[in-house]
Amino acid sequence: MGTTSTMAGLARIGIYLTGVLTGGLGLAACTTTTIDEFRQGDTGIDIGESIVILGRRQGAAYETREEFVECVGDRIARGNDGITVVPEQIFVDALFPWFEPRTAPMRSEDLQQLMAQPLVTEKMAEFDVRYIVWLDGQTETSNRMGSISCAIGPGGGGCFGFGSWEDDSSFEARIWDVSSHTAVGTISADASGQSYMPAVFVPIPLIARVEANACSSLADQLKLFVLGG
Amino acid sequence: MEQAVRSEFISSGMSSSRRYCRSIVLLLLAMVALNACAARSVIIEGSYPTPNIPPLPMTLGVYYSDAIRDYVYTERTDAGKDEYLVSSGASHIALFNTVLPAMFQQVVVLDDPAMANERGVDAVFIPDIDEFQLGMPQKTRLDSYEVWVKYNMRLTAPDGDYIADWVMTAYGKTAQQSFGSAESGINDAAVAALRDLASNFSISFTNVPDVRDWLQPRLQ
Repeated sequence: MGTTSTMAGLARIGIYLTGVLTGGLGLAACTTTTIDEFRQGDTGIDIGESIVILGRRQGAAYETREEFVECVGDRIARGNDGITVVPEQIFVDALFPWFEPRTAPMRSEDLQQLMAQPLVTEKMAEFDVRYIVWLDGQTETSNRMGSISCAIGPGGGGCFGFGSWEDDSSFEARIWDVSSHTAVGTISADASGQSYMPAVFVPIPLIARVEANACSSLADQLKLFVLGG
Repeated sequence: MEQAVRSEFISSGMSSSRRYCRSIVLLLLAMVALNACAARSVIIEGSYPTPNIPPLPMTLGVYYSDAIRDYVYTERTDAGKDEYLVSSGASHIALFNTVLPAMFQQVVVLDDPAMANERGVDAVFIPDIDEFQLGMPQKTRLDSYEVWVKYNMRLTAPDGDYIADWVMTAYGKTAQQSFGSAESGINDAAVAALRDLASNFSISFTNVPDVRDWLQPRLQ
């Protein structure tokens, strides 16, 4: 009887502690995002024209994740002022083999050379692509600290401890105008945030949505840029 | 007496069914143990897009040797035991059967390169796999599956004379998924490598020095 009430008391304290930690850290588990824009030319898009967002995958160290490319595309296409975005895989397959990691144009000057191929021009016209956006970047996790240990016994189980880590997202979008074969600008998004995982009986993840914030900020800025705002 | 016989009969029936159960359990255990020791088979399956390139105005014969048709790479553990058997022959043939008809006006698959003359082809293409390497996350300590393949490509005249012989490499990788199987990781990395081969082959074919020299008078 005495043991049961002590256990119940401990559990209650644990829940209170978790609540306090969650509340406190919830405020701290936020993200800082910085957006930089560099414009090299005028932009604008007509009704019926579309853009394509492609991830750079030439580097040996990392590849721009498909999910991030998709996230930016979905956000740009959303809303009343949404822009038509050609899905990456459909575009890359349709223009095979010109946009593969080994063969994709690296500079806007290469685009001019590529557009000299009649089959490429034909496909570009089919999709009515006005801008090609190259996304390059990744999210890295660093400064992992703390430890959490979990145990289970006949009377129940639980976890105790604390863990934290930092996420840094760094992405760059280079915008090429297909009609003039020139680079019209670059937008970069840097986001960072600290995530926490307190565990008093139950682990509560307080995740800083670093990549999601980088995606939404970059997509919003990119949409404004393409629309000519 | 009758009761004693019946009880003996029941007990013998019980012991035989127990023996039967025991042998089934042993058999199942043996099967599990054997399955744990057996190498896992991965048959590469993927689809490849058609290249957007102008076709060369000629008829190409292609010969797939048994070496490429039945190509199986064996990945071994550090202890030297077979871990994965990666069969990529069918996928390689599917890839070339997609890529070559886009690169040449006509393509003829030959069962024997000696039939080239009677089939009226301008040249015979013979692809082969020289080397296959697999990078597994648990061995490379990277978060991805990697496949690297080295090919030997040969182009001969219909009578078997040398036209060109060159080496090509292909590389593909895929990120390790949290709940994905090793088999699907290997498959995706191999399909990426084959796609890399297709893109590089279709663009660089006419730039191979010996092929270029052979093509020049034919394209004028």
